[in-house]
Amino acid sequence: MSLSSPTKTRWFSDSDRKPAPVPFEPDVLIGLRDVSLRFLSYHDKQYSLKQAAVDMVLRRQAPPVASDFWALKNITMRIRKGDRFGIVGANGAGKSTLLRVLAKIYPPSSGFIQFRGNVAPLIEMGAGFNPELSGKENIRLNGAMLGFTRKEMDEKTDGIFEFTGLREFADLPLKYYSSGMYTRLAFAIASEVEPEILLIDESLGTGDAAFITKAKQRIKGLLDRSNAVVIVSHDMKALKEMCNRGIRLERGVITDGGPIDDVVNNYLDSIKAPRV
Amino acid sequence: MLPRLGDPHGTAKTMSQVSTSPASAPPVPPPHTEYFPAPAGPGIFRRWFEILAEDRRQLIRFWPVVQNMVSQELRVRYQRSVMGFLWTLLNPILMMTTLTLVFSQILDMRKEGYAIFLFAGMVPWTFLSGTINECAFCIISNEGLIRKIYLPKWIFPLTRVLINLVTFLLSMSALFFILGPLGARPTLPMLLLPVVVGLFAIFACGLGLAVSTANTFFRDCGHLVSVFLQAWYFLTPIIYEAKFLGAAQARLWLNPAYPFIKMFQTIIQDGLWPDLSTLAAAAGIASVSLGIGYVAFKSNEDKMVFRL
Repeated sequence: MSLSSPTKTRWFSDSDRKPAPVPFEPDVLIGLRDVSLRFLSYHDKQYSLKQAAVDMVLRRQAPPVASDFWALKNITMRIRKGDRFGIVGANGAGKSTLLRVLAKIYPPSSGFIQFRGNVAPLIEMGAGFNPELSGKENIRLNGAMLGFTRKEMDEKTDGIFEFTGLREFADLPLKYYSSGMYTRLAFAIASEVEPEILLIDESLGTGDAAFITKAKQRIKGLLDRSNAVVIVSHDMKALKEMCNRGIRLERGVITDGGPIDDVVNNYLDSIKAPRV
Repeated sequence: MLPRLGDPHGTAKTMSQVSTSPASAPPVPPPHTEYFPAPAGPGIFRRWFEILAEDRRQLIRFWPVVQNMVSQELRVRYQRSVMGFLWTLLNPILMMTTLTLVFSQILDMRKEGYAIFLFAGMVPWTFLSGTINECAFCIISNEGLIRKIYLPKWIFPLTRVLINLVTFLLSMSALFFILGPLGARPTLPMLLLPVVVGLFAIFACGLGLAVSTANTFFRDCGHLVSVFLQAWYFLTPIIYEAKFLGAAQARLWLNPAYPFIKMFQTIIQDGLWPDLSTLAAAAGIASVSLGIGYVAFKSNEDKMVFRL
């Protein structure tokens, strides 16, 4: 069968069994060891049963893999307690993919990740929101997805409305919210639950200036409680302000790493952009 | 020899030392540590045991999500219409009225309590076909969620099963009262209905898991499924009685849905206890279905996100 898989869990064979992972040092919240991710794209992504049957009758190899590309190659990194981790790189360098791997959305093709703590992803604003439901119900639903019970979430609801200033819209279905309100609610939920690890992807772009300032303060507040934050952004100034460490990705490979100022400056120099 | 006999405690100590920590072993990680992907244990049985244990943990952790999704889906479905839940009853009532008229008046298959017979087979069947049809598309239609947030993927088929189960139970009890004037009476064997419904839901869940896996990789599967369900419907004695088939009746046992439907009909229409053998067959079929569905789903779970 050439439905090749990134991670194989075949019930009939355990020959591709991976060795037991070696733990990282105790202060590492997220550790990645040799994480690679391969995307296979097929000419016809919607491979059909009909076609499979025809292929089987004609003894053809199926389906042809159109392209096979490594979105991430041998990523090894450690994110420790108190790290504000910025990821920079050009479009298509694998930044968002890396974040999705950290959020457990994409299982790595090889290597492994070790987590210590609760991960709250803010990959895309309002992931898991149901537009038919009210703001309040969405807080419960989202909280449940992040691993909190209804009761725990009800206690946090006040704080969330306090922060977003959306209390008067609490019972309004989310589909009537503006995009800024949406963003605010999503950010407030993810940060109110106080995850040990918060992943943010470009999410500070929307929202007005006042909210962005508040959000930045809140991320700093999260750090004071010794959590880790991973931020992917093209806003170099914001990264310099909020992060202390960073890496640079190029075509799925880490090419630079260290204090955020150095990483950002090197990156800007290399693309011949003025420093910020 | 002698020291071991004389000092059992000393032996136990050395044994435990040997088994837990050779000098070169890596430091033991703190309790919350979690690996992704989860390391595979040695051996197939061990591996599946670990997968099951992991899913049990996940089920507890994500049960509120399932609860939320089910209750909210039901609410969204019903809150906008004044008649709410009654609308879901309309469909089976109309269907049963039509079929009763066609069969008892036009085709002249007059039979005592045909409406109740029809009800006993039709409502469970609607649950089965609804679940399978919805499960077929549940992974694909939740693409947005799957690509943005981590959730165990079995949540989606499970939610579909539960939503349909709730609708099934509600319409079952409501229709039963509606059919009161036609001779529907509560009987003692109905105490067994929860067991039968439970087994039937497990059966539907297994099929749903298998179909949702298949449809994620082969996109035309969903359409085949609905055609297949139509054929299956006519092969199952729902609108006709089993004895109508004459000698071919024995072959009905090849139909995995037959024991379930038969039990529903025996309990609801005849008011009798079903055979123990039928119950055993249903239990066996349900567990085989769930087993196959679960293994198929879990074996392909990791690949699904790449195929959306």
